[in-house]
Amino acid sequence: MKNVLAMILAGGRVDELDVLTFLRPKSVLPFGGLYRIIDFPMSNLMRSGIERVGILSQYRPFFLINHIANGQPWDMIGRNRFAVILPPFKGREASDWYKGTADAVYQNIEFIRMYNPDLVLILSGDHIYSMDYQEVIDFHLEKKADLTVAFTTVPREGAHRFGQGLIEDGGTRGGKLLGYTEKPKKRLSDWASLTIYVFNPTVLLEALTDNAKKESHEFGKDIIPSLLGNSKIYGYKHLGYWGYTRSLEEYWRTNMDLLGDATPIDLRSWQIRTNLANREIQDRQPTIMGPSSTIDNCLFYSGCTIKGKVSRSILFPGVVVEEGAVVEDSILLFDTVVGREARVSRAIADMGVKFGHRTTIGDRDGELTVVGMDASIPEGSRLHQGVTVYPKVGARGFSKTEYTAGEIIR
Amino acid sequence: MRRVVALLLAGGVGSRLNVLVQYRAKPAVPFGGIYRIIDFTLSNIANCGLTRVAVLTQYKPLSLMGHIGDGSAWDLSGRTRGISILPPKTGEKDWDWYKGTADAVRQNLGFVLSRSYKEVLILSGDHIYCMDYGPLIRFHRDHAAQVTIGMIPVAWDETRHFGTATLDDSKRVVDWEEKSLHARSNLASMGIYVFDREYLVATLEETRDEDFGKQIIPRALGEAKVYGYPFDGYWRDVGTIQAYWDANMDLLRPGSGLYPEACGIRTNQVADDLPYDRPPIKTGGTARLISSAVSAGCVVWGSAENSVLSPGVVIERGASVKDSIIMHDSVIGKGAYVERSIIDKEVLVGEDSVVGVGDSGIVNARFPDHVYTGLTLVGKKARIPTQCRIGTNCIVYPDVLEKDFLAPWLKDGETLEK
Repeated sequence: MKNVLAMILAGGRVDELDVLTFLRPKSVLPFGGLYRIIDFPMSNLMRSGIERVGILSQYRPFFLINHIANGQPWDMIGRNRFAVILPPFKGREASDWYKGTADAVYQNIEFIRMYNPDLVLILSGDHIYSMDYQEVIDFHLEKKADLTVAFTTVPREGAHRFGQGLIEDGGTRGGKLLGYTEKPKKRLSDWASLTIYVFNPTVLLEALTDNAKKESHEFGKDIIPSLLGNSKIYGYKHLGYWGYTRSLEEYWRTNMDLLGDATPIDLRSWQIRTNLANREIQDRQPTIMGPSSTIDNCLFYSGCTIKGKVSRSILFPGVVVEEGAVVEDSILLFDTVVGREARVSRAIADMGVKFGHRTTIGDRDGELTVVGMDASIPEGSRLHQGVTVYPKVGARGFSKTEYTAGEIIR
Repeated sequence: MRRVVALLLAGGVGSRLNVLVQYRAKPAVPFGGIYRIIDFTLSNIANCGLTRVAVLTQYKPLSLMGHIGDGSAWDLSGRTRGISILPPKTGEKDWDWYKGTADAVRQNLGFVLSRSYKEVLILSGDHIYCMDYGPLIRFHRDHAAQVTIGMIPVAWDETRHFGTATLDDSKRVVDWEEKSLHARSNLASMGIYVFDREYLVATLEETRDEDFGKQIIPRALGEAKVYGYPFDGYWRDVGTIQAYWDANMDLLRPGSGLYPEACGIRTNQVADDLPYDRPPIKTGGTARLISSAVSAGCVVWGSAENSVLSPGVVIERGASVKDSIIMHDSVIGKGAYVERSIIDKEVLVGEDSVVGVGDSGIVNARFPDHVYTGLTLVGKKARIPTQCRIGTNCIVYPDVLEKDFLAPWLKDGETLEK
């Protein structure tokens, strides 16, 4: 087996995710009733037998450091196994925040040299998918490629937000990459980049060194186009599920993909692990259901107390739904409390949110309503669809009882 | 607390738990969905700041040892904290099985003497309770006692299962009986003893006493200061099938006093040997879950009422479970009905089967003193065929397969062995 070093780009926060990434990088955004998004690439790496991982992070890294816990949850602790966070550091000449994905890796060139890998696998920390990276690595080796980029198909209406690759016809697993454009205005192909790259280290180091002199430092926008034509670049076709979470609506929909009869996300066969010590997940007792509770078409973890009615929703550990409350089509992160006779529809509540008694949050149709971490909604409030509440807003932040679409409560 | 060493006696057979202890010691019996019985004592130990613990095992210790691991689930691993598992070992004679609770401690006096401890706290791994041992130790020191026994009042008809004591106004034990049919007091020993190390070591070295309740305590009464420390929190001995079922059901009853998470009870969830973490619980559109405790990894399409579901339980469409305890990864097949039953791990209840329904007046013929309260037991990995009717007070042994059923039924009080 080849000696592969993985680098996960986990630093970013995404404007479209709004209050959910005010206090954390997107890679540790909770997902699916238990997990963090980065658990998916981490578990993929574990199952692929790639156990040397550097994680590049610069935005509020504490939660990420805490969650990764040196790789222990994924058995990545050992003499030759590790998962380390690589924060930006002060260079001899200047203090250098990562100026882009390529720059983040460039600044850690010594880390790559130190381990002298046969291949460098670069991933992003923000997608929901299952993949055996050995398959793309095998493809890369078979083709004697310098760089292999993994692609998948996405619906056309959203395709302009991805990098698009033109892959030579003929191969079912992939082929030569003939063209590539980052976020094109005009459609190039149906194949969107997964931001999964297999690099030969010498090609990578050279490209990064060249790029360092330039103004812009992104793999998609700069590195791949600069190598096209000069190096052997292949496109690999990933055929399984690929969930992305770049906007609130996408985050909500990808979560909802876990519900129902035939979910495309099989958490068991994907063998997803998380850090069970984070937020004391492992010490939560079984979820207790009350005498008149209902919970249909839901996903929820241990540690909840459900006395009201919940439908089509995802509840993280410690969520409390009190008597007479109704929750539907919503995502409630760790330790959210829904007060008596409150009604929550199409809403996302971050950790520790408190919905007071008889509050009505969101609407059955329309925009999602989003409430930031530890916010507390006063009794009897009415928040219509599309309202945003900033983290830690308490009763004093509320000047009226009813808020309509687009209003932001700070 | 650093002067106190804890010895946890986890060798108990617990034979009245019948098929539940076929493959495991009583302390390792699953409880309350995600726990094992021993988790309560282990967590109490860790939560009160004790850092050195020995677990004395003997009977079927495999699942217990796997569960305890290195103790890190209870934060009992590190340079200055630790958990040691002490199985019986070859002594001066060929092979010394523990002959009783006191004998087990005698054979491990080396551990007790290995550091400069002042007191030895002897605990059993058989009970469901939350207790801070700190006040007990202080009580022992304040009274300058040689022995202090943790005590709790029990129902009068239960006294025959316990050591019972009468205390004077200063809480000194003035009268002691062991498992008496007509006890003079209903203040029962919780199987918790604090000993002055010096006194304990001297007694064990100078006598051949094998049991604390039967010999050591009566002897101490005559020659030392023995006190009773009354405890008034939730405490259950789950030594019988009915008591075990009742205590599980306490988890569902607000006001029962049993709140494992709130009092810091921890367990080792990763010892399940799965390559992944148990995913969240999934319910289908037809699911009904009422007054139940549900653990991670369950998949519910049918319904459960007044039941405790351990991790990974699957209740298929149209199946329903009532007043039951279903352990890890058991599957209740489509249209099946399970009532007042304790289903061990990895059991399959075939489609359209009925388990636990019948005349509770007919007690189990083979184990009339184990199974007589209208509960049915199904052992680990048993497979019940489709459309099978199993009555109440029945016992299905572990590993029984579909083909072991000679008829598609088991009458009330019957037992089926492989």
